[in-house]
Amino acid sequence: MNQRIIYPTDDGGVKIIVPAPAWLAEEGNTMEVLAQEIVPAGKSFKIVDVADIPSDRTFRNAWEYTA
Amino acid sequence: MAGTIIADTIQATSQQISLNVGNTTILTASSTGLTLIPTTNVNINIANSSATFTTANITGVATFSTGTAALPSITTAGDPDTGIYFPSANTIGFTRGGVEVGRFDSNSANANFQFNSGYGSSATAYGCRAWVNFNGSGTVAIRGSGNVSSITDNSTGDYTVNFTTAMPDVNYSGVVTAKGVAGTLQGIGTENHDATRSTSALPVVSVRRDTGSGFDSTQVNVAIFR
Repeated sequence: MNQRIIYPTDDGGVKIIVPAPAWLAEEGNTMEVLAQEIVPAGKSFKIVDVADIPSDRTFRNAWEYTA
Repeated sequence: MAGTIIADTIQATSQQISLNVGNTTILTASSTGLTLIPTTNVNINIANSSATFTTANITGVATFSTGTAALPSITTAGDPDTGIYFPSANTIGFTRGGVEVGRFDSNSANANFQFNSGYGSSATAYGCRAWVNFNGSGTVAIRGSGNVSSITDNSTGDYTVNFTTAMPDVNYSGVVTAKGVAGTLQGIGTENHDATRSTSALPVVSVRRDTGSGFDSTQVNVAIFR
C-alpha cells in the first residue's frame, strides 16, 4: 500500500506502478509479484516507499529514473 | 404368515427389529433410529402431507419438480412463492413473491444471467469485468477497484489500468471519466490513442476539455464491460 514500483522508459523517463489495495490484500500478492507481472521483461526496476516519489507533479514528464 | 398385522405395538426381543421383503432386509429400527437399506431407490410417499428432516445428507443427486414462479420447487418454510424453479430445459429461475426476478437462461454459448432490478422483466445483464477509481494527482493512489492489480503512472494525465484477470479479447468496452478542476477546467477521460489496448491492460488519459492537453485529475474512473 505504501510502496511503488518504478522503472525506466525507453526515452529516459520513469513509469510508476501503483498497486491496488484490494489486489495486495489477496494472499500471495506482493510488490515483487506485481513487478514480475507488469514491468516489461529485461527492464530494471525498484520498489520504493511512496514518500520517495514527489507529490508535486508539475514537472512529472521530466522525471528520470536513476539506478 | 400371509395377511395383515394390525397392532398398537410391535416389540422386538432384541435391540433391533427388521422389516424384510422376501429374504432381503429393507428397514431396521433400533434405539438409534430407522435405517433404510435400499437395493434400488427409496421412495417416501406420504399423500397430502410432507416429510420433515432435521438434517438431510444427500450424497447423490436431489431431483425436484420444475415448479413455477408462483410456486417454486425449492423454497423456504412459510414463504412458498419465493425460491428457485426451472422454467424450461437448461434454465434456472429465481422468484420472489411469485414473480420471477432473475434467471440463468439456456443460451449454450453464453449462459446469460438475467435479472429485473427495475428493468421491467428479466433481461440479460452484461457485467462490469473490471473497475478502478484512482487519484491521478499529487500522490497517485487507487481508492477502490475490482479485477485491477494496479495502475501505471506513465506521465502527466497518462495512465495504464492493469487487469488482474485478462479479458477474453480486446473487444471490451472501456468507459473512462476524469474530473476537472473547479473553476479552472473541465476534464475528459478517454482511451489513449497513442498506446495500444490489450487483453491485460487499457491505456487511458485525462485531458483538458479546452486545450486537449493532459492534466492530472483527482478523480479518474475506469469501468470495463465485456
